[in-house]
Amino acid sequence: MNLVDFGRFSDPALLILASLADGPKHGYGMMMDIEMMTGMRLGAGTLYGALARLESSGLIKPLAVKDRRHPYQLTTKGAAALREQLSLLQKLASAGLKRLAGT
Amino acid sequence: MSLRRWLIQLYPRPWRERYADEFEVLLEECLHSPLDVFDIMLGALDAHLEVPYELNWRLMNMVNKLRTSILIVFASYIGFVIGGMSLYGLADDSPMADLMKTRTDISLLASWIIIEVGAVIALLAVVIGGLPIAWTVIRRALTTSRQDFGLLLIPVFALLALILYDGFIVSIGLGLVHIPGIIPEVSPDNFPIGNRLVIAGKMLVFVLGAIASTAAVWKIIMHSSLEENALNIPGRTKPMKIYEYAFTLSVVTSLAMLLVLVATAAWGGSSYSALPQVFAENRGLLLTNTTGSFIFTLVVMSVSTFVAFFGVVRGYLARKPAA
Repeated sequence: MNLVDFGRFSDPALLILASLADGPKHGYGMMMDIEMMTGMRLGAGTLYGALARLESSGLIKPLAVKDRRHPYQLTTKGAAALREQLSLLQKLASAGLKRLAGT
Repeated sequence: MSLRRWLIQLYPRPWRERYADEFEVLLEECLHSPLDVFDIMLGALDAHLEVPYELNWRLMNMVNKLRTSILIVFASYIGFVIGGMSLYGLADDSPMADLMKTRTDISLLASWIIIEVGAVIALLAVVIGGLPIAWTVIRRALTTSRQDFGLLLIPVFALLALILYDGFIVSIGLGLVHIPGIIPEVSPDNFPIGNRLVIAGKMLVFVLGAIASTAAVWKIIMHSSLEENALNIPGRTKPMKIYEYAFTLSVVTSLAMLLVLVATAAWGGSSYSALPQVFAENRGLLLTNTTGSFIFTLVVMSVSTFVAFFGVVRGYLARKPAA
């Protein structure tokens, strides 16, 4: 599954997947976690735009409602997509850093 | 209308049906600036423009509704069984049973046979319809979800509680258990089985167990995504989705419940014509008035059947493609 298909939501989708990598979280939990991880604050509209796409693509799934909040969890497909995206980014980062070092 | 509600109203209906509740909770915590409002408005616009995703939401919404409809029929069937047990208590060892045994009243016997046939059909439909879901859920619970496994134990504990209760009563009856001041010593003359308190206790254990088990099954199914699971049905070229299959069987269950309800009303009518005096006696549930007990049974069965048909109609409308 390629997150590029998500258009402007591809980056927020990747952040959500990364946030869910260590366990289920609800919307506000993801927002706080992403802010802590990256320093970026996702707006509610962006978060749910990405989250809805991830759910309809089967990359995340909702768990039972707790205190009116719906926690979400990575699916196996979602974990595979995250791994694929992160290794791609890792390759890109190391290639870019090597090139920078060469200049 | 609050700003939060107004912003949620900007989203398309299928999106709201799926996300509005949790989105509102999120907005309670993070709607601080005009930039947040702008971001939500952009998200709403995007949700309107993304047709494929709207179709997906429709699909998810359909699956959710179908799943809830199946569970509504299942829960109402459990309610119907409680009504059925009350009817059985009324008929068992009664003058009506004697009339049926001697075949002196054909209409009474015929309606009772229809009740039994309907009850068997309803039970079979629940078992056959529920087995593939139960099997998939049990398999998943054993391999991946510890929480589901815990929930699956609730029906087992409910059954154990019923067996333990019976064992406890029998041991009192046999004089094996007696607590001075609380449980008196018994003799063969005051054996507690058949006692009103003992029956009420057993009914309480049964009803609480049935409610807890139904709630556990409901919770497990509601967060199991089984919509991709399908079954190969003999005579069908394409596999049938597991929820579609269970829904078809839930229609059979509901129709069988209606059949039993009508036959029960007919049985009550025939019983009253044949033995009106019995309806003035106290042969009902917990030795209460027979008429009151029969009306209670009919009300429980009617409400359960009505709720089951509500579930069926809801499921049918969810499956119907949007115009």
